[in-house]
Amino acid sequence: MQLLWQIIVNGVLLGGLYALMALGLVLIWGVLNIVNLAHGALIMLGAYAGYYLFTAAGIDPFAALPISMLVLFLIGYAIQRGILNLVIRGPMFNTLLITFGLEVVITYLAQVIFSADFRTVNPPYAGANFELLGATVPFVRMLAFVLALGLTLVLWLFLEHTRIGRGIRATAQNLVAARLYGVNPRRVYALTFGLGSALAGAAGTLYGVVSQINPYIGGALTAKSFAIAIIGGLDNSLNVVVGGLFLGIVEALTALYIGPTYTDVVSFGILVLVLVVRPTGLLGRTA
Amino acid sequence: MRLGYQLAIAAVAVAALATLPSWGSAVIVQFGTSALILAVLAQSWNIIGGYTGYASFGNSVFYGLGGYGVAIGMVQLHWPFAAGLALGIALALAFAFLIGLPVLRLRGHYFAIATLGLAVVMTAIVSNLEIAGRNIGLIMPLVKGDTWFYEGSLALLAATTLAVAWISRSRFGFGLIAIRENEGAAAVMGVNTTLNKVLAFALCSVFTAIAGGIHAYWITFLDPESAFDIGLNVRMIIMAVFGGPGTVFGPVLGAFVLSAISEVLASKVTSLASIFFGVVIVIAVIFMPRGFADLVRRFRQSGWRYFQENIRAHGV
Amino acid sequence: MTRIVLSVAAALLFAAAPVSAAPVELGASVQLTGKDANTGRYYGDGYQLTIDKINAAGGVKIGNSKEKLTLKMLDNQSDVNLSVRQYVQLVTQDKVNFLLGPFSSNFALADSAISEKYSIPMIQGGGASDQIFSRGYKYIFGTLPAATEYFSSTVDLMTKLNPAPKNVALIFADDAFDVSVADGTRALLNKAGMKIVVDQRYSDKASDFNSILSLIKSQPVEAILVAGHETEILNFIRQAKTLNVRPKFYSFTVGVPTADFRNALGNDAEYAFGMTSWLPSPTFKDDYFGNAEQFANEYKKRFGYDADYHAASAAADVEAFVKAIEAAGSLDANKVRDAISKLDFDSLYGRIKFNAAGQINLPQTVVQVQKGKLVAVFGPKGMMEKPLYPMPPWGQR
Repeated sequence: MQLLWQIIVNGVLLGGLYALMALGLVLIWGVLNIVNLAHGALIMLGAYAGYYLFTAAGIDPFAALPISMLVLFLIGYAIQRGILNLVIRGPMFNTLLITFGLEVVITYLAQVIFSADFRTVNPPYAGANFELLGATVPFVRMLAFVLALGLTLVLWLFLEHTRIGRGIRATAQNLVAARLYGVNPRRVYALTFGLGSALAGAAGTLYGVVSQINPYIGGALTAKSFAIAIIGGLDNSLNVVVGGLFLGIVEALTALYIGPTYTDVVSFGILVLVLVVRPTGLLGRTA
Repeated sequence: MRLGYQLAIAAVAVAALATLPSWGSAVIVQFGTSALILAVLAQSWNIIGGYTGYASFGNSVFYGLGGYGVAIGMVQLHWPFAAGLALGIALALAFAFLIGLPVLRLRGHYFAIATLGLAVVMTAIVSNLEIAGRNIGLIMPLVKGDTWFYEGSLALLAATTLAVAWISRSRFGFGLIAIRENEGAAAVMGVNTTLNKVLAFALCSVFTAIAGGIHAYWITFLDPESAFDIGLNVRMIIMAVFGGPGTVFGPVLGAFVLSAISEVLASKVTSLASIFFGVVIVIAVIFMPRGFADLVRRFRQSGWRYFQENIRAHGV
Repeated sequence: MTRIVLSVAAALLFAAAPVSAAPVELGASVQLTGKDANTGRYYGDGYQLTIDKINAAGGVKIGNSKEKLTLKMLDNQSDVNLSVRQYVQLVTQDKVNFLLGPFSSNFALADSAISEKYSIPMIQGGGASDQIFSRGYKYIFGTLPAATEYFSSTVDLMTKLNPAPKNVALIFADDAFDVSVADGTRALLNKAGMKIVVDQRYSDKASDFNSILSLIKSQPVEAILVAGHETEILNFIRQAKTLNVRPKFYSFTVGVPTADFRNALGNDAEYAFGMTSWLPSPTFKDDYFGNAEQFANEYKKRFGYDADYHAASAAADVEAFVKAIEAAGSLDANKVRDAISKLDFDSLYGRIKFNAAGQINLPQTVVQVQKGKLVAVFGPKGMMEKPLYPMPPWGQR
């Protein structure tokens, strides 16, 4: 029984980080209708940002979050403004392809610049943990979980209650009308992509503390984020959290009861099932 | 140029290519086989992606099933190659019908993502199967000499292209195009969209599976990651899109051209080859999203403005 | 990339050189980029250093003349399929004389099919799994000791500890090498009378070991044996710390002997056991480098990072070819192949002698990280330095 409780705790904490990972993807997808296959690469860059801030400047990874988010925001803004804005009104398939191309390029550049060596971010409190009703809770994961929920809430508030946020949503819903209101779509799109990238960067910096970093972690993380996005549903950020938690718990249970080599089968099997049976996600409304 | 003339020229080309092993070096034959197999993949993707408009990321599943059919058949069951190939085709067809039916109900990018998910699931499932060698894979019995594989791939490409040529002229093909252009209207007009889509999927599964089987036997090695490689799927899409989706010869040309460039890069400066495809994709999608064939046609009309027009049409 | 350009340029220069010298070309497809590049580079650098060293001494003696060695090395980007195609290219297009292998059993398994197909000997120092050597192939040789025996000296050591661990967890990745290791280790543990309470296979793409660690924690596990890759083992140790999993003893197939790995873990690497078939000790005498210590020094000086058994294994491969060519007195593939199978010489890597299946037989020395240093605790001759056992709780280090 205690083992089960520990597994559930593991799953929930993992789920929090997962949710943060998928948040940026969902934002970009839901608002810009861009299926960003380079999402994992952005997470990877966020991880490296955190790494260099930690090892070169001695900044604690959690304190470094705003900086790495800013860096990724700028990168994302540039990508959208310079490249994706050129194809965004074309068939969606094209954006899928081009983001795949970007993923390849970013990964290659990362490997050339950062080398293939794996890196770790090891702050002194990395191993800290505390007991909760018989389960061991790693401190860092707990913090990442809380941050993930926090950022989700902030994002939701931003989109609902600020002028810029509403501008973003308006442009997403009706480009012509938004233009008539004086919204500059190029900038709004770039802003949105930048925002999504910043969230990916945050996830990456946290990921670097709980796991290890190398240029190739992007692909698997993109796939994971997709699964979470679809399973939760693309409507709003709350869905993403549910999707992340669901997947985290399912994976933890699968690893224990079926076997660690079956987690992908279950995760992506559920993805396909959800797509076929209930494409709007577990929580999504049917449009 | 009329299709008839095109096919005649193609037939001559095939005959010429068939003689390659007798005068070409071993490396040219090896490269040729690789390029031919990629062309088959691009061409069969053309059926579901180019003509029907359903961008499938799951063709790599057919490829992998074909490869594993041959591998399991020959290594575990000690069957001859042809029997293994039949097994691969059977597996691919089963997948196309059983999984295709529910998944083809999805539209647009949901279909793409579902097939992407399927590729990941199949990789994970096969890496747990004892009979498939789990994650380690299987080693095929050795065959000395590459000519057989080359001629086989050439024949397969000819067959696939003929199938696509037939599609482009048949009612079945018109049905597919109608689905691509406006599925709702097609259904109203009496096209049995479900049947057509599944048949298209099944058709491309056969050719892709055979290609997978030949490739596995040729390389003598197969493991889940290489068999169901999503990167390969993307590459076949790029080749089809680059060459011109929905045309008879576009994907073949796209495959040959891109393979040639990639191979030259790989043998000279290996690291560049990996970034090559990434850059090609980005540039192609921005500047020539309708493929090489369209580029050639329209360039004569608009000149350099062709690229600007594309950006204006698709950009913001 | 510079190395490739340089070696290609070198090859061209040699090709353009006056007729009297027909260099001996060795071909290799190595993971210089991609996810295995971290370990792949030891092979690339090891090959290059050894070839340069041998050439500096005049080269390889064939009959009455001495020829230089050249290296045609391709980067397979950690892609097995590409690696296979590159070996075909090396044999059919570049027409190299002999083949040096890649890192990793999965790669060696696939690539050796090519050397067999074209009847060109390949000596590889990166693959140890059973399957490579159980197919009856004649042209593949390996300088890594058999995977099934990897934990043999570790299990020996465990029986001598006080109190000896009885309950063991065996965790392994699902690739060729680690599956082989696990198969062999099960037999070893059973023979030693220990009980395997946790026996888990994990996917080699995994980075999350929380479930496995939670399972271990729920059982009375005293010792953990992990067969996996460096990146996974790194994650394993870190996550063990965060979940407060504290066995009395844990040992890993890779990582511990490598300086990078220990640095990445910092203090968390303490008490971890590992094994190595090689140490940079002056007792390993070598005809070209003097001894293993000098090899290690030269390696560090040239490449800027410490050598480990991967690099030494790679160096041994080159030396084996040279000795075999000299013994055969020709470059004929079959004559050299037969000469390789009869080799028996001492090198910086230890005694090079291949068994009938083509595999080397080297004992593993058990090492432990003690106060930041790698200490040899148990070798073929028995106890060496004292092992620190049992491991104290995480909070008390």
